[in-house]
Amino acid sequence: MRVLQLLAAALLLALPHMVRSDFVLTIFVFTFILGIAAVSFNLIFGFTGQLSMFHAAAFGISAYVTQIAMTHLAVPFWAGLGCAVLFVLVISTAIGSICFRYRLKEFYFAVVTLAFAEMARLVVLNWNSVTNGSLGIALIDKPKLWLPGFGEITLASTSTWYYVGLTALAFTLVVCHRVLNSWVGRCFGAIRLNDELASTLGINVFRYKLLAFAIGNAFAAVAGALYAWYIGYLEPDYLSIPQSLAFISMVLLGGSGSLVGPAVGALVLTSLPHLIQLSAEARLMTYGAILIFTILVLPKGIWGTAASLWKRLQGSGRVLASESQANSVEAQ
Amino acid sequence: MTQLILGQLINGVIVGTLYGIVAAGITLTFGITGIVNFALGAFMTLGAYMSWYLTDRVGLAFPAAIVLSVLATMAAGVVADEALFRHTRNNLINGLLVSIGLISVMQAGIAMTWTATPQEMHFVLPGVVQVGGVVVPKMKGLAALILLAVILCTYAALTRTWVGRAAFAYAQNPEAARLMGVRTRLLQSGAFVYSVGLAGLGGALYASLYSIDTGFGYTYVLKGIEAAILAGIGSVGGALVGGILLGMAEAIGSIFLPAAYKDAYGLVALVLILVLKPAGIFGGHK
Repeated sequence: MRVLQLLAAALLLALPHMVRSDFVLTIFVFTFILGIAAVSFNLIFGFTGQLSMFHAAAFGISAYVTQIAMTHLAVPFWAGLGCAVLFVLVISTAIGSICFRYRLKEFYFAVVTLAFAEMARLVVLNWNSVTNGSLGIALIDKPKLWLPGFGEITLASTSTWYYVGLTALAFTLVVCHRVLNSWVGRCFGAIRLNDELASTLGINVFRYKLLAFAIGNAFAAVAGALYAWYIGYLEPDYLSIPQSLAFISMVLLGGSGSLVGPAVGALVLTSLPHLIQLSAEARLMTYGAILIFTILVLPKGIWGTAASLWKRLQGSGRVLASESQANSVEAQ
Repeated sequence: MTQLILGQLINGVIVGTLYGIVAAGITLTFGITGIVNFALGAFMTLGAYMSWYLTDRVGLAFPAAIVLSVLATMAAGVVADEALFRHTRNNLINGLLVSIGLISVMQAGIAMTWTATPQEMHFVLPGVVQVGGVVVPKMKGLAALILLAVILCTYAALTRTWVGRAAFAYAQNPEAARLMGVRTRLLQSGAFVYSVGLAGLGGALYASLYSIDTGFGYTYVLKGIEAAILAGIGSVGGALVGGILLGMAEAIGSIFLPAAYKDAYGLVALVLILVLKPAGIFGGHK
């Protein structure tokens, strides 16, 4: 299993040197950036059990705040991104506090976060002097990055974005892995399974739900700003409900039980429209059908199903390295 | 000014009955099958396109078109229930997500059948009536009256008939209801399909009032949920009142505040209600 992981990492690192096609690399850049949002959404949904409809709002708000900070404070992209993450942390703490203080669960939590997301979208849509309304904003300046040994790099070519996206996704995965394998992660799991029981065990349910919500949204904020500057265009649809649904679909398709699953879901859902030529309507229909199919037929998602198949294959042969078994059990 | 406010009030009530019919569907489905059917908006759109198609393209009389549209929507509801929602009973999250997936499928299907161009039905019932000095198009008044009547009949059926009592019994205690001879599977499918029919009727009447596009149902399902929660989810009468209150608040609010933020009132009210009085305005203590 270790070997496979290292192999996958090496393959991902070497890909831009092996594949010269911008087309393939572009799919991967989108996968990485949207994967950050999907993986962080799963921290809230899959691991803590809270169906948040605020994820696209955090994603879009962050892109707008970065843009506003850059134009009005004249700071570079990365400082703007920092401001955006801080801002998203503050508002998600506020919204999370309201929801969790008043014990809004399941549907009620989903509806209230949806309400806040829609309010944010209405503000962005109608605050023309700052956000340029439904016309959106073109982002012409490419962010610059200083790296030791490379000097200053402008993020313009697809392969540069590839490495930025890959690094950001890897960072997200490592942080989430660390969080989930700590005491905090155990508390998230306890809350997902039964939050009343969790609170009788002395877990501060309010605090840990808020923590999951804030961390998840902060990563969505990172993804949002990167996404906007990679595309070079910013519009209120970033905050829309369909965008939230796209993240949910990625998580469910990949598998909500594992950390990597959502990134796999992101890869499938971003590459699918490019692999098969479909009209906009047919694409929408496929999207919905995939969502329904996954929930009813493949509840563990692609990654989860593959993991249990892998486990069964190993079980039918001789008993192999117990470590990988433990891994796949954990992946459930 | 009084004229303006009165006019907006009447407009609010009319739009409110549309919110109310969706809210009644939301509440019924939630009470009996334990899920929130977001796709009611898509069924509403289907009803609207059916009634537009049957009246304008096929040339049927409008009342016949409405009846056929509602039946067609309910048939689609039966299919959806058998194929999908039978597997998500009392599983709120799965039901929510399946219904969201169904929205995409239906919306795309409607766009493929009738193209995505917005459509407008010719005037079915031209002319206006004067209500206290305010001019109201006849069709708007009639549509509101029909919706009002249907919601009140539903309410009466729920409180006065055996099926209604069975539904209440089931909502309170499914096990006991089954032991008392309530055919629970039929009741669940019935409630689901009836709710879809309500949405279809709302859509069919909507098509005669406003121009329709493939996505309009989405707004209405959000408003329906807002209205249902506002009044306390689980009460059909409350859904009507919640819908009308929401419609009036939006109409009156638009006079004094920027109309662009009209859609936010319901959202703010929703958050406040869930935080302060989760059982709804008319609900007892939780």
